[in-house]
Amino acid sequence: MRAYELIKETFFRGSYIWIVHVAWLAIYGVYWWLFLPESPEYGRFVFIWGGLLLPLALSAGIFGDDIASGRICVVVTRPFWRGELYLYRLLGLSLQGAVHLLLAGGIATVLYAIMRKGSIDGLAPYLVASWLLFNTCAALSTSLSVVIRRTYNSLLLLVVVACGYFIVSMLTAYLGQQAGKGTFMAFVRYLWPPCELLFKFAHGDYDKFSLTVGKFSLPKSVACVVHSLMLTVAYSTVGIALLTRRQFSRARD
Amino acid sequence: MVIIAAVLALEAWAIYVVGASPEQWRPKMTVKDEPAAHALYEMMIQTIREADSLSYNSVCSSPDYRATYYSVSLKKPGSFRVDLVNGPTTRSSTLIGDGNNLSVFWSGDRPYLWFDDQESHDKTRSNVYIRRTAPADRISIAGEVARLGVAWYGCILDPSTFHGRTDVFDPYIDGIRGRGTDKIENEKCDVIEISYMKAQRIRHLWISKRDHLPRRIKEIVRAADNKIVVEEWSDVGIGANMPAKTFAWSPPEDGRLWSAPMPDDFLPKGGQEAPDFELCTSGGGKIRLSDYRGKVVWLYLWQCGSPQCRQEWPHLQTLYEAHKDSGLVVLGLNCTDDEHILRAFLRENPVTFPIIHDGSPTARRVVLDGYANKTAAAPMNCIIDREGRIVDAWLGYDGNHQRALAALEKASLQPNASN
Repeated sequence: MRAYELIKETFFRGSYIWIVHVAWLAIYGVYWWLFLPESPEYGRFVFIWGGLLLPLALSAGIFGDDIASGRICVVVTRPFWRGELYLYRLLGLSLQGAVHLLLAGGIATVLYAIMRKGSIDGLAPYLVASWLLFNTCAALSTSLSVVIRRTYNSLLLLVVVACGYFIVSMLTAYLGQQAGKGTFMAFVRYLWPPCELLFKFAHGDYDKFSLTVGKFSLPKSVACVVHSLMLTVAYSTVGIALLTRRQFSRARD
Repeated sequence: MVIIAAVLALEAWAIYVVGASPEQWRPKMTVKDEPAAHALYEMMIQTIREADSLSYNSVCSSPDYRATYYSVSLKKPGSFRVDLVNGPTTRSSTLIGDGNNLSVFWSGDRPYLWFDDQESHDKTRSNVYIRRTAPADRISIAGEVARLGVAWYGCILDPSTFHGRTDVFDPYIDGIRGRGTDKIENEKCDVIEISYMKAQRIRHLWISKRDHLPRRIKEIVRAADNKIVVEEWSDVGIGANMPAKTFAWSPPEDGRLWSAPMPDDFLPKGGQEAPDFELCTSGGGKIRLSDYRGKVVWLYLWQCGSPQCRQEWPHLQTLYEAHKDSGLVVLGLNCTDDEHILRAFLRENPVTFPIIHDGSPTARRVVLDGYANKTAAAPMNCIIDREGRIVDAWLGYDGNHQRALAALEKASLQPNASN
């Protein structure tokens, strides 16, 4: 019951949640309608909008708003472990992401059936990869929300993500094989939300385009999924540790 | 504690697996021949050749997120029609052969091709078509597509196999082995792996158990890096009746006959100064072209994976040995291959002339801009006289070095004369 209430809370946290969902779904539809994409293009679009940007929008101020309003003190006095609060809110976000991405797939399928243009072949791996990325980003943003007031967790993450990928693209374009570049790229690759790995997984780099016959490359796909889930767990663990140790004040900002 | 250790171990494994760098070429990748797998390949080729008609759609794509879509119709004795579209556009290029002539035309304006500059494209993009004599048994459809550069990705299996053409790589098969079975779009397939040129090129074929035709072909070419292209077949029809109008086409009234330039047309002409360069050798030193003033230089651009280069290689060495005392220097220039592949090739096919091995952007600019080999095709030959002027330049190997000998003679190369 407690789990249900906490999960439900993430769905009804604010009316803007529904506006975000509807706006995002409309964008998928308009994108399909205007560009009639093949599944890789549509998948890439859903991956960025649904996997990367949607969790930032949905998790904006997920704890920060409560902390700023002083409501967090009421919430954490309930007789259960604070970690549960974090876990169920994250689970609520994850469920929202799953439902949202299923609807995104549904929109593509319906539009494909009506217009008979574009392609939905191979869309499923993109939706799976988008959901895995959604979870990782949601966990990171939720953990940030424990220490950053109001909705600035998402804004900060958005700026950091944009700067991070700008630096990566600059390094890739203009630097050769320098030692510092390798370290930075390894940091981005393994400690940052695994956009590159999941995108390769969705695109078939570990399957259709692997260097071996398809089924022999299964370990790489599995490893990619495992790493993504592990990052989600790691970000969540940090968030839970912060939430359980932090003292909250009733004072409003 | 045990759970934490297990989780950490799992994550360590995941990072190890996803972090493993792309598999580079090793000699042990060469496949040993398995008669059963070889028979499957032979059966596929035989099925294609013995069919009266064959049609399929194919998608050729690579990890760079682009794809070329083909619709192929083939009919005996010599008819074919290939419509191809790049990416999400709807503008198509069509190649039609009636057994005697090849016609190429476009829906709307022709696309910007590899040889175009803005001016030439503006002049020849509208209402143009190509028509030339091309007997079906001598034409390579995949070769025509590649020569024109109309497709982002050429088909791996040349549709001309249907008309009896042998794949240029077939003489270089090391072996074929089975890789089990798989399902492609509910079609049960045998999977085989073919290795060419000591695994420098590998193809995986998913061959339908039902009709012995391919459903997926994956090609991995190992040069400086790994290049992967996948061709996927669908809507395969064999032996169906195809109306004659499929292969019939007549030019529109306002259509203009146009002949696309050949890659050779752009190479430097005789009398021009040979562009100088300083590039790295396979031994780690540097070679400057101008250091060979006073000698006749045969600049030879080559790749380990080119069948023509492999064919010419021993003859080139023989020619060099015969003429080196009269002042001939052959400079073998390789800008494409991985160091291990190149070394293995040279160990098996040793030569005594200097080899330039340089994959830097500078080396590529020398080839693409300096010597105007716009497609970086190999082999490229360029004979340079003692004053550093180009005598002749051409692409390909003619089988008897006739053109090369004529150019060397023109460059005043006197056999066995001392310099």
